Amino acid sequence: MFTTLVQLALSFALIGLGAYGGGMVTIPLIQHELVDGRHWLTFAEMARLVAIAQMTPGPIAINAATYVGFGIAGIVGSMVATAAVVLPSLTILAWLAPLIDRVRENQRTKAIQWGVQLGVVSLILFATWSYGRSVITDGWSLAAAAGSFALLVALEGKLHPMAVVLAMGLLWLVCF
Amino acid sequence: MTSSPTGNGKITLGEIFWVFFRVGLFTLGGGLAMATVMRHELVLRKRWYDDKAFMAEMATATIVPGAIAVNLAFLQGRRLRGRLGALAAVLGTILPSFGIILLVAWVAAPYFANPKVATFFQGCAVGVGGQLAFAGYAFGRKLLHGRRSLLICSLGLGVVAGLRLHPIWAVVTTGLLGFLLYRPEAVPMPADQSE
Repeated sequence: MFTTLVQLALSFALIGLGAYGGGMVTIPLIQHELVDGRHWLTFAEMARLVAIAQMTPGPIAINAATYVGFGIAGIVGSMVATAAVVLPSLTILAWLAPLIDRVRENQRTKAIQWGVQLGVVSLILFATWSYGRSVITDGWSLAAAAGSFALLVALEGKLHPMAVVLAMGLLWLVCF
Repeated sequence: MTSSPTGNGKITLGEIFWVFFRVGLFTLGGGLAMATVMRHELVLRKRWYDDKAFMAEMATATIVPGAIAVNLAFLQGRRLRGRLGALAAVLGTILPSFGIILLVAWVAAPYFANPKVATFFQGCAVGVGGQLAFAGYAFGRKLLHGRRSLLICSLGLGVVAGLRLHPIWAVVTTGLLGFLLYRPEAVPMPADQSE
């Protein structure tokens, strides 16, 4: 039990540290750590978790920590995982915030940050590929995913991404 | 930095907790959606501090890894009441999603086996696929300009897709490459983070 909790904490600490630049990056991290690495979730369970995380308030990383922690070790697990996912960044903030305030406008810092953001793009592209490959199983799902993409591009800023996710869920309920 | 910005020191930890609790409870979507609501509560409604102070904390929150909403809550709470204020703000931000997800895991989990529910989530997953592609497109359009950025992005992709290393290594690699390849005066500008 103790070993499980330590593993849980380590996994979510890594997810918390890697989550840079928004919730979408959390998806490849969760897939790598929990689906491919520890086999705590099947791909279908992860996909469900991501959908639930989007329909409930709060960052995806925190929702995932609470949910997976609960599944693995009950209430204690959910508390350990949730604490683990936020503690690395809060520790950095607590110790380094004054330093960060000073170097934030430094051009070197900006160059690093720029590079990191490009890394985030590669992670999201990779996630699109690996996630898409598991989700798209036939012509219908391919068309629906392409349609969701097109809709989001066409109505950028006007359409909440969650609306598309919900709409696809309902579409599936009606059609299949 | 740790003193009350309004100078009267009357903001209680309970008040901080409740403001961030409301923000955490009513914001769907990513860190930026939450930042907008936080600004509305802290700057416009409570007038605890001004836009300039808010944006400074926002910039710091995006530099550090982790959920932007939580980082931002920590920094804003700290600005209001020091470390205890930070703790109150972080707890307030996290507790709503923590509680709601526990409720889902507890109450809704038995229904996940239901074929109708499973079908619904299958459709949702397809939508998330489209959303990921959209995120890649939106980020890429903003950030991929010129050969250097394409090179860095491809190398990052090589680290996760080719070498199959942990995603963290892609970010470390590209951060280092950014440091090496961009001369300080030539960093492309719009470095804001959005989803």
